[in-house]
Amino acid sequence: MTGGDYSIGAEQNPISGRLMGPDSAPGPAVPWRKVLWECQPFPDNYVDQRFLEELRRNEGIRQYRYWAVVKEAGFVGERLSCVAIFITIWLYIEQGLLSPETLLWTSLVCALLGYGLHQALTSQVESGCEPRTRLADLQSATIFLSFTFGFSPVLKTLTESVSTDTVYAMSAFMLLAHLVSFPYAHPSPPGSFSLNAALFASVCLASRLPGALHTFAMLSCALLVFALWPCLLQRLRENAPSQFTGVCVGVCIGGVGGLGSQWPGGAVLLALALWSVTLFCPLLLVRLQRQKDNIHGPWDEAEIHEDLSRL
Amino acid sequence: MVLKIFFPQCCNRADSGLLVGRWISSQDSAVVLAVIHYPFIPGHVKQYIQQVSAEQTSVSAQVCIRDTFSPRLCLSCIVMTFESQKEQEEEEEEKVIFVHYEQRKVMLSQLHPIENGVPDPITAPLSELRQMFQTVANSQPLFFLDRYDDGPLKSTHWQTEGREASIIVELLKQACIPLCMLIGWLLSIWTWICNIRIFSLYPLRFLSSKLSTCVQLSYRTEYMRLLSSPKPAAGHTQFMRKANIVVSFLVDVALGMLLIWWLYRDNHITMLANTLVPAADHVAKELDELLQWLMGAPAGLKMNRALDQVLGRFFLYHIHLWISYIHLMSPFIEGILWYGGLSACLGLTFALSLLSDMVALLTFHIYCFYVYGARLYCLKIYGLSSLWRLFRGKKWNVLRQRVDSCSYDMDQLFIGTLLFTVLLFLLPTTALYYLVFTLLRLLVVLFQGVLHLSVDFINSFPLFAMSLRITRPYRLAEGVKFRVLCEEPGTALHLLMEINPLKCSAVVQTYRTPTYSCYPKDSWAALVKKLFVGELIYPWRHKTTKTD
Repeated sequence: MTGGDYSIGAEQNPISGRLMGPDSAPGPAVPWRKVLWECQPFPDNYVDQRFLEELRRNEGIRQYRYWAVVKEAGFVGERLSCVAIFITIWLYIEQGLLSPETLLWTSLVCALLGYGLHQALTSQVESGCEPRTRLADLQSATIFLSFTFGFSPVLKTLTESVSTDTVYAMSAFMLLAHLVSFPYAHPSPPGSFSLNAALFASVCLASRLPGALHTFAMLSCALLVFALWPCLLQRLRENAPSQFTGVCVGVCIGGVGGLGSQWPGGAVLLALALWSVTLFCPLLLVRLQRQKDNIHGPWDEAEIHEDLSRL
Repeated sequence: MVLKIFFPQCCNRADSGLLVGRWISSQDSAVVLAVIHYPFIPGHVKQYIQQVSAEQTSVSAQVCIRDTFSPRLCLSCIVMTFESQKEQEEEEEEKVIFVHYEQRKVMLSQLHPIENGVPDPITAPLSELRQMFQTVANSQPLFFLDRYDDGPLKSTHWQTEGREASIIVELLKQACIPLCMLIGWLLSIWTWICNIRIFSLYPLRFLSSKLSTCVQLSYRTEYMRLLSSPKPAAGHTQFMRKANIVVSFLVDVALGMLLIWWLYRDNHITMLANTLVPAADHVAKELDELLQWLMGAPAGLKMNRALDQVLGRFFLYHIHLWISYIHLMSPFIEGILWYGGLSACLGLTFALSLLSDMVALLTFHIYCFYVYGARLYCLKIYGLSSLWRLFRGKKWNVLRQRVDSCSYDMDQLFIGTLLFTVLLFLLPTTALYYLVFTLLRLLVVLFQGVLHLSVDFINSFPLFAMSLRITRPYRLAEGVKFRVLCEEPGTALHLLMEINPLKCSAVVQTYRTPTYSCYPKDSWAALVKKLFVGELIYPWRHKTTKTD
């Protein structure tokens, strides 16, 4: 229903501009009441001049403020840049510019740093759920590392007979699925499907590398980027919002820069995507909010006087 | 009111006399069985009829006079008798139908479908035809008197010219009893041997239920037991069943003897033995080449090289073992064939069962490969489906038998995804091996199935009933057909009743000996589904017999 066209059956009195009921004649002495159970001398679908008076419009509408939306959208952009960073690292390793040992050590250092930061942030706030002990974390880490190390020779030969194009297409599709299904509102715990899609894509890419150690390094890096980094970011978002924004911006810049060093076209595309997601779409959202016109009830019964046969 | 009179053709030429027969009041029909000639003393006749009725309750005498030269007199007599039976108030025009039947044929024939047991005459009245057939068949004592007897009465019926008997049938009947005793004695020895303790150990029992020779042996034993009972057959069905079994057995043994004669002359056995080992070698070589082809890049499929090599080498080693085994056995093959061929003297079915068992033993390695491939594939499919559910964040709820969402731990997610990727990329390799070995196994199963089907055919086909249908079709009657002899207005309608023999397909269906027949266990859809998922298939299933 477009706004303003709710006068089917109720004609506007041209002099007083007030809406009159379908009869257009003053009713009997008893006033009409909008009740259901009383027997009134009016027909069942009669409404007097208070037709649709109680109608509410645009109730509960949110007032978006531009910079707050940009801040939230920054998270999406940050995810995009993370994926770009991951691809950059892969490109480096594939071309031999980065050795797997370096990557392994860097990952280890980053993981320890991140873990320390995570623990520091957690101890500041009392979380209601039971805390994981250090032992459980160590156990998880051991499982990850041993499993990945044990499987990396098998994983390396997985896509040997598959053509390069197929592998790239599969990885791209899976990374896109990861971005689309990521739970941006509650990144911790990470959503199953998005994490699995990202890991699948990373296995596909990692199996293209020249050695088993490369595969292992790549997978550890993938684990860091896709599984552990969002948990840290969530902590940061909860406890230090201003730092969170700074980190997002930093990651975005790092992503663009890193991609640019290997693939300038990609960097341009990334910058465009980031700009549209972070700056353009919030603008659109705020602008279009003004066009919003929702009507909520309560409704009154209308009587159609027009001749519908010509429609 | 239509009156039907069934008149035997043999009495058409008889002299005048009394008509003896049975009146079926519910159907308003009379069945004439014999004619007693002049001169007779009514007292004697009464005595005779009573004597006969005492044995069979279906005969009752209707006194009426028959004159050779005026059938009309007979007709009016019968009508008068009829009227005296029923007191009717209205004068109705009675229509009379004379049905001429050939007494000998009707007596010997059996109306189908066979009704066993005595039906309740009130709730389930027999049809007219059935009653008529039963009357004639039950009147055996009436037909003992013939023309050459010196009794006080002379009657005409189908055996008037002297009783028919065949010497061969009489001899067989005399020889039956000692033969039955002999078979019974042999069977008791055989059963005693089978029940020795040592044979009831579990592995032997399991083996004997799988080998088709043992199954065939037990089946034969059971039917021999049926034959060896000295009591004569009660009822038409049992007689036919016994006769079918005897004829099948004799034909089986004859075919087996033929096979033996062919096998043991001109050194056929040595020739067979000499071609067997090279044939096995040839099969192994073909399998070898097939595996080499699979280990390469078959049909351009994307196989995982490492897994390919592992599986291929594994199966090659098995084939190597098998060939060594065959070469080890090769000096004994001729002996085995020679003694195995002797089993054909028990019947062709035994030779075929033995062949089927030997084929099963010789292709045991194909069966092993099939089981390995199927198990691996099944495991993979099962793992993949479970991990796919993990991929989407869902879990199978065993209690509710449905898929629920589940929040997994990070470790579970990580390891699950890795395993899923691995299994997914190794799927084409495993699937190909599974496909190849399933096809081979299905070929072997098909061949065995053909053998079993032919054994089943020899066992269950009712040869005696079929030959009876061909040589004496009136013995197995499906119904009757009528031919009009004389239809003139004013006189009675004369019809000739001829027996309509049973159709051949109905003969086979009714008299088929029940066997432990093999029939497919699953429908096509279920079979395809099982193949797809990787479950082991055993397409033929034996119907369990009472002795199992």
